[in-house]
Amino acid sequence: MHVSLRGITVDFGNLRAVDKVSLEANAGEIHAVVGENGAGKSTIMSVLYGSNTDFSGKILCNGKKVSWSSPKDAIKAGIGMVHQHFMLVGNLTVLENIALGNESINQFGFIKFNTIRANILGIVSRYKIHIDLDELVDNLSVAQRQIVEIIKLLYRESMVLILDEPTAVLTPNERAIFFQSLKNFKAENKTIILITHKIDEVMDIADHVTVLRNGKLISSSQLEITNKEKISQEIVGEEIPRLNIKRGAYESKKILDVKDLIIKTNFTTKQAINFSINTGEIIGIAGVSGNGQTELVETLIGIRRASNGEINLLDKNVINANTQTRRMMGISFVPQDRQRDGLALGASVWENACITKVNDKKFSWGSFLRKKNMKAFSRSLIQEFNIKVNGPDALVRTMSGGNMQKLVVARELSSQCPLIIVENPTWGIDIGSIAFIHQKIMDIKSAGVAILLVSNELDEITSLSDGAFVMYEGTLSKRISKGKNFRELIGRHMLSGFNTYYSPTGSSPNE
Amino acid sequence: MSKINKAKTAGIVVETLATVLSISLIIFFLLYLADANFSEAIRGFIKSSIGGRKNAYLFTTFSKMALITGMAIAALIAFRAGLFNIGGEGQLVVGGLVSAFVGLSVADFGLLGIFLALASGMAAGAVWALLSGFLTIYMGVPLLVGSLLLNYPARYISSYLVSHPLRDVNSGLPQTFLLPKSVWLPYFQGTRLDVGIILIFLVYLFILVISQKTKYGYYSKSMGISFSFAKISGLQTKKIVFQTLALSGAIAGLVGSIAVLGIHHRFTDGMLVQPLYAWTGIIAALMVNLNVWSIPLAGFFFAAISTGAAGMERIAQVPKEIATIIQAIIILFVVGKLGSLGGASIPSGDSDHD
Repeated sequence: MHVSLRGITVDFGNLRAVDKVSLEANAGEIHAVVGENGAGKSTIMSVLYGSNTDFSGKILCNGKKVSWSSPKDAIKAGIGMVHQHFMLVGNLTVLENIALGNESINQFGFIKFNTIRANILGIVSRYKIHIDLDELVDNLSVAQRQIVEIIKLLYRESMVLILDEPTAVLTPNERAIFFQSLKNFKAENKTIILITHKIDEVMDIADHVTVLRNGKLISSSQLEITNKEKISQEIVGEEIPRLNIKRGAYESKKILDVKDLIIKTNFTTKQAINFSINTGEIIGIAGVSGNGQTELVETLIGIRRASNGEINLLDKNVINANTQTRRMMGISFVPQDRQRDGLALGASVWENACITKVNDKKFSWGSFLRKKNMKAFSRSLIQEFNIKVNGPDALVRTMSGGNMQKLVVARELSSQCPLIIVENPTWGIDIGSIAFIHQKIMDIKSAGVAILLVSNELDEITSLSDGAFVMYEGTLSKRISKGKNFRELIGRHMLSGFNTYYSPTGSSPNE
Repeated sequence: MSKINKAKTAGIVVETLATVLSISLIIFFLLYLADANFSEAIRGFIKSSIGGRKNAYLFTTFSKMALITGMAIAALIAFRAGLFNIGGEGQLVVGGLVSAFVGLSVADFGLLGIFLALASGMAAGAVWALLSGFLTIYMGVPLLVGSLLLNYPARYISSYLVSHPLRDVNSGLPQTFLLPKSVWLPYFQGTRLDVGIILIFLVYLFILVISQKTKYGYYSKSMGISFSFAKISGLQTKKIVFQTLALSGAIAGLVGSIAVLGIHHRFTDGMLVQPLYAWTGIIAALMVNLNVWSIPLAGFFFAAISTGAAGMERIAQVPKEIATIIQAIIILFVVGKLGSLGGASIPSGDSDHD
């Protein structure tokens, strides 16, 4: 189906989120829409999807003017969308989620689950997707939830697929499979609109690329007549700064020493985890999401009890301490889910910026808060981390994803802790913010902070860390040191566990 | 811009007029059913909510306002911490009951007696609320269920006690003996309004201060917005749960004590349950969107509606049932109105503008 957006303008109060943007997507085409957070990508897509009806401009489908009063109309017309934050019901099964809102029923009004199951199984086998249809969505990893969302669109036979940051949570292998299915869609003459931050993906798969910046259309052209550097510059509007690495002066010592730690996971193997981090060292933990990384991190920060073992922070075992004590003793933490764990969305910026620091003499006096100091501190964070927000009293809910993440990182990095655990610190945020956060992590490394970087992004691990482990089904690989085969070794472990690692023909452990 | 504002204002005026008109139509219809004199009924309503000889009815409204506001604060302090304590009724009853017993046994202690009776009522309410917290944290009973179910034992234990072992048999009703005058809350001079309203005002100020200015207020609000955020930020969530429930229960207990020591001077079976103080308080707290500042206004509104309806019954012979329906309809319209106004300022569902 050919879709065309003509002169779309969307205002949020005084803010013009999208300014007279036009774009065209053809059937049998993968159309990438790129731009930073706040560039208006999701907003213009919400117009096409019918979830935003307050706009001026025209939507045309196959040359005919259409108008939606809600996403229902758009879905009926064959337009489907997968949102960055999934729209799934946690306590229903995969099957129920896929069928929800589109159940076929028999003459007695009962849902024909058998027919539905057969349909879905057909889709699943056609695209070689592995998913247990009877598992509760609550028990799925982020990557698996993404897959459920995509099956939902396939099941509804949408002709136009809008995908908002679909690969943010996929491993290289899953991504390859996913791209193959996109190509299959293309062959079936569907229209695919891909919202993404990742230029490499655009170069790999897109036919047409549209760049938005600050709500304005910067360029829209066939992929052949543009190039990677040009697109990057159009997105940012200026050159992206290179990572600046310096070596600061600090005494080298062991900060974190994890010994024989047994974490509680759903995996059957219970193998002890051992690793340590020194001052000024970034240790990466790579792996496909859902292999026990979250459980490991929760155990380290004290919201999940360990079955056994030691967590030594500066030579003190903190295994029995609660989160508050661990934070006071020097562990700082950037959680992966900023909307649920990292921030209180309904509270103001200052309330979010100071939550871990209330007991500081600067911020409280007995039981009373010293709000003035808290707000001044928040203002300094806003400035130092270049956070785009109206000031310390603004609600966090009003900020864009990248700025929210900057706020979490700002709070945790400003804690002066000797150890910082960061979990997927750049999930679903724009290139500018990613570069900024990576630079900040390198800055505290050079100041001597020990950093545990848990990430699903292979590039993030390889470019930042000094050494890495791979987590697979609840166990940790041997340490992989930075070297020639760094990336390949990590990648191989992520996909297949550690078996190939020990096979006689495989490369020797790179230690 | 000014054009838009004018249009907006006009829109609000039209909407408000439409609301008033629909309320009036429904009320007239109901009064017609009840075969009552319209003008007399309406006059009765207004006169007995804010008028009366020497403003006597206004003082009755104030007295009710104190109780409803107190219960609204008790609900609000728990709700803002994300704790759905809907057991205010049980905490209120337990507070009132214990206050009545203590009041009966401290007749000779003077002011200290009043203090003891109030303090024991607060303590009883707090214990009752903590019980539901204990069930939640250690037994896994959801607070919504646990706090609600604890209303029933409170209600029926009190009912049993005042009907049997502790009953003032000669009074002919299931109630305790009349409290000695020494433990009655003093009245404002020349009125039938007791100083309980001052106590509630102090509670209001106290809650304003702790919710805006203290660590506890900051922590509990954060926990209310996201429990996992609070946990990961290192807040001691269990402690906040118990602190909050104790505070909420103590305030509900105090309301019970005020009703006993200030208004009824004894504990009569059902006297705290029938007027739905606890539930009205919850509605009031929700109506102002958990905004601490505007709680007394909501309290006054609900009190005035309820005394007004009672007055309509007395003056215009409108049956009590019809008066209660009218009361409910006014509340529904006003809550709906405030809800739609409040809803406009809250950004709709999709918070991730990209």
